[in-house]
Amino acid sequence: MKAITPTQPKQLSRKAILYSLLTFAGLVSLFPFYWMFVMATQPNHVINQTPPALLPGSELVTNFTNVLGTIDFFGAMMNSLIVSVSVTVGSLFLCSLAGFAFAKLQFKGRDALFVLILITMMIPPQLGLIPSYYIISQLGWLSDLKAIIVPGLINAFGIFWMRQYIKEAIPDELIEAARLDGCSNFRIYWNVVTPAILPAFATLGIIVFMNVWNDFLWPLVVLQDQSTHTLQVALRALSDSYNRDYGMILSGTFWATVPLIIVFLLFNKAFISSLTQGAVKS
Amino acid sequence: MKKLWKTSILAGSAMAILAGCSSDESGSGSGSGGGSETIDMWVFGTTGYEELAEKYMEENPDVKINVQSTEMGDHHNNLFTALSAGQGAPDIAMIEVGEIERYREAQDRFANLYDLGAKDVQGDYLEWVWNVGQSADGEFMFGLPTDIGPTAMYYRKDVVEEAGYPTDPAELAASLNTWEAYSQFAKDVAEKTGKPVVDNAELIFNAKRDQADEHYFNRDNELIVEDNAAIREAYDYTVSLIEEGAVGNMPLWTPEWGQGMAEGSYATLLGPAWMQGVVKGNAPDSDQWMITTMPEGAGNWGGSYLTISEESDQQEEAYAFIEWLVSPETQLESFKDMGLFPSTPATYEQDEFINYTDDYFGGINTAAVFAEAAEQVKDVYKGRNYLLVQGEIMTALNNVLSSGGDPDKEWDDAMERIKQRLERE
Amino acid sequence: MVSNSEKYTEKKVKRSMSQEKRNSIAGYLFVSPFFILFAIFGLFPMLFSFYLAFFKWNGLGEMTFNGINNFTIIFNDPIFWKSIYNTVVIGLLGTVPQLIVAFLLAYALNAQALRFKNTFRVAIFMPYVTSIVAVAILFSIIFNSQSFGLVNSILGVFGVDPIVFTQSEWGAKIAIATMIFWRWVGYNTIIYLAGMQSISSDLYEAAKIDGATLSQQLRYITLPMLKPFILFTVFMGTIGSLQIFTEPLIFFGGNLREEGITVVAYLYRDAFENNFFGTASATAIVLFGIIMIFSVLNLLITNRLGRGKARKA
Repeated sequence: MKAITPTQPKQLSRKAILYSLLTFAGLVSLFPFYWMFVMATQPNHVINQTPPALLPGSELVTNFTNVLGTIDFFGAMMNSLIVSVSVTVGSLFLCSLAGFAFAKLQFKGRDALFVLILITMMIPPQLGLIPSYYIISQLGWLSDLKAIIVPGLINAFGIFWMRQYIKEAIPDELIEAARLDGCSNFRIYWNVVTPAILPAFATLGIIVFMNVWNDFLWPLVVLQDQSTHTLQVALRALSDSYNRDYGMILSGTFWATVPLIIVFLLFNKAFISSLTQGAVKS
Repeated sequence: MKKLWKTSILAGSAMAILAGCSSDESGSGSGSGGGSETIDMWVFGTTGYEELAEKYMEENPDVKINVQSTEMGDHHNNLFTALSAGQGAPDIAMIEVGEIERYREAQDRFANLYDLGAKDVQGDYLEWVWNVGQSADGEFMFGLPTDIGPTAMYYRKDVVEEAGYPTDPAELAASLNTWEAYSQFAKDVAEKTGKPVVDNAELIFNAKRDQADEHYFNRDNELIVEDNAAIREAYDYTVSLIEEGAVGNMPLWTPEWGQGMAEGSYATLLGPAWMQGVVKGNAPDSDQWMITTMPEGAGNWGGSYLTISEESDQQEEAYAFIEWLVSPETQLESFKDMGLFPSTPATYEQDEFINYTDDYFGGINTAAVFAEAAEQVKDVYKGRNYLLVQGEIMTALNNVLSSGGDPDKEWDDAMERIKQRLERE
Repeated sequence: MVSNSEKYTEKKVKRSMSQEKRNSIAGYLFVSPFFILFAIFGLFPMLFSFYLAFFKWNGLGEMTFNGINNFTIIFNDPIFWKSIYNTVVIGLLGTVPQLIVAFLLAYALNAQALRFKNTFRVAIFMPYVTSIVAVAILFSIIFNSQSFGLVNSILGVFGVDPIVFTQSEWGAKIAIATMIFWRWVGYNTIIYLAGMQSISSDLYEAAKIDGATLSQQLRYITLPMLKPFILFTVFMGTIGSLQIFTEPLIFFGGNLREEGITVVAYLYRDAFENNFFGTASATAIVLFGIIMIFSVLNLLITNRLGRGKARKA
């Protein structure tokens, strides 16, 4: 008893530090979203004010109506959804499959191939734009969502991440045991590996989804027809080169972020429960 | 080059077969480039061309036009990529005047509008505007001019008055008819109001530069900027104003630039016609902005050309549409609806143009001011690396302006950087 | 019993013989989608860039062979060397403090009996969700060069003159590094957190029973167990920071200045603003070499560090 009493104030102050650190970090992180919302409710000239406006204005509806009048917002959102979901599901499958092979299967040249994958991550991608475009046009995929989805499945980072995770999370004995039960490698992957790496799926899934949703350099080039535009491409059309209506731009940007936040919040729950599950199991 | 592409077609299709995912799809590709009935048109910015295309289709029911609007930088990059890869360019593409130089190299990828009848309408357009749209030898016409951006002097009545100058447009223009007078004006403004005479170094330098006959390259595309006295004069003039403390540090398009516009933090803005919309947008409640002519002439900033791609199989239909779209009559519509300033002087004589007034700018005929400026613009060769040179000179001027750099040394350094970078061409 | 176990071993040997082969086939099959897709969409563009490095090309006209001139040109350009220096400095400024803070935040988020855990987690991860447009506008106000800019007004309180961030050697770098920090810190926090959650609580319980202090637990359990995650973030951070380019592009709004130009921004300017594809490709190759060197270096260093710690534990 004596030993515990003096630690209590110490624990309290530790808690205070903990909460204030997290609160501060949370506020710094969230402020831009609030601010984006504020600007999405203001007329254009208010963005030039000093100090900048900190409370929402009255143009919420007007700005978004302007967005809807300029671009096909919901059509673009649908395209974004199709692309992001396809790439996420596809690359989670391909990355975990390859990650499993690299982590747990012995085959000739395995390490060399893995290093090759790491090396592909180091190539600065910006220059490949013209030749990549050329390939897509040869395939007849210009203005086709396939042009985003199929190359999007190449994910060296994802393979790397899955390999690390599978290596750590799944004991070799488990795989050996499954083998003794007569499981094929794919069965092992499907029945043993996948259930055990749900947290990695959740994490990588969030990362891939966000990346695809926010990407614009490549979609911009290959999605020429407006009906195939993803949200980020469509939003670019809001920036008139000569006269920028920031209220409208930020309104579009804000509402394009909302579904992402919703997806994240939904996913985040699964993410957390799978995390705790994974922890309990191991 | 062609050979390389050919080999890569082979390589590409070999890989595609390997992947087993191409052949059934590629034939029926739903790309916008291939359609034979629809005319695809790429534009940027707010042009109102979508509505005009609707109108044209109503009058010509057998024509179908699909207008795609993209942000300006993206638009040009996409077009460049399509032309470079040799595939996927639209039937009609709009090209901004500052961008047109880099496409001259790709003449074979555009239709020569002279073959489609452009000679017949040449007389409708301002000569300097037309010349930018054709090749150096005058044999090849890239695109029909759309709008233009002649420059004039926007000014704040309150600041000008405080400095002791007349606020009436004609009187102010008369008292600031030379750059020397403008220099004195800058001193007076600084002394009496404590405000700079211009927003930043860029626009004042551009204004002086645009009055020169040659800029950075001669017509053989040789770099002449270092020996071009007129450019050095523009540089020195800007430096002299900086040294008077008469140049602000509000870079274009930044929030402080817009705020300066609303608050009247500087006396004049040497901008093009389309800047009217920007001023109104940034200072919607101000009743102080006026427009008059600039000292010693005018320049041009902005405007575009409508081109037709070589790969298009409907060049004639496309040409018929663009000829209509930028005819003097339709340009008057674009001027009234979207504020696009016409490149056709005949439009300036129309009643609606002559009687045009703008209450925001003190009820004066702003169109007349810009029409006068449009006729004064010089036909200057720019060259494909124009923006590279411009960027380095701006770096030099900004160093003088806000880091206290030595003007001569900054100029020499800029020339050095320009030469270094041009070695790559 | 005896015969049974004999059978068993026999079976095992037989199986593992063919198992090796099966594993081989499955291995190749499982990794093949990546390599096939990469061959189609990644290899050709890569080889094309490599080829271009020895040519002059403006994207539209003829290509002319230029030998190693493109390399000579960039090596003689002081701005090229400046861009490498900038990249390394900005990378260090943006990554090192970021990973440390991310670790601390993850550690805090992993604390037991923490309330509003989920809220904090979501909030801290949020910046990763923002689009470039929002980041650009936000940071142009924070690092505004006028006296009313957020940072400048804070400096003003202490009597410091306003800094022209775009034209200041350290101002530009700090501004760009801050953008990177803000956007990525939450992401790395979540990765560290995932790592910490995967550490079995039994380990901590055992350590507590042995009387280990909090810092000892941190040092001998958390850090070594997190090794793969730390290795991962350091590796990705290195590659990521050597490829920084959107931030300086936004920050300078077009006219890239030498105070903040990075290697990829240098390359991007050559390729897409001026259409000097030859020197841009040469720069890409040099950058590729630099990334390789850095990656190998930090793999070696992290490995050694990690091994040292693991041994102690």
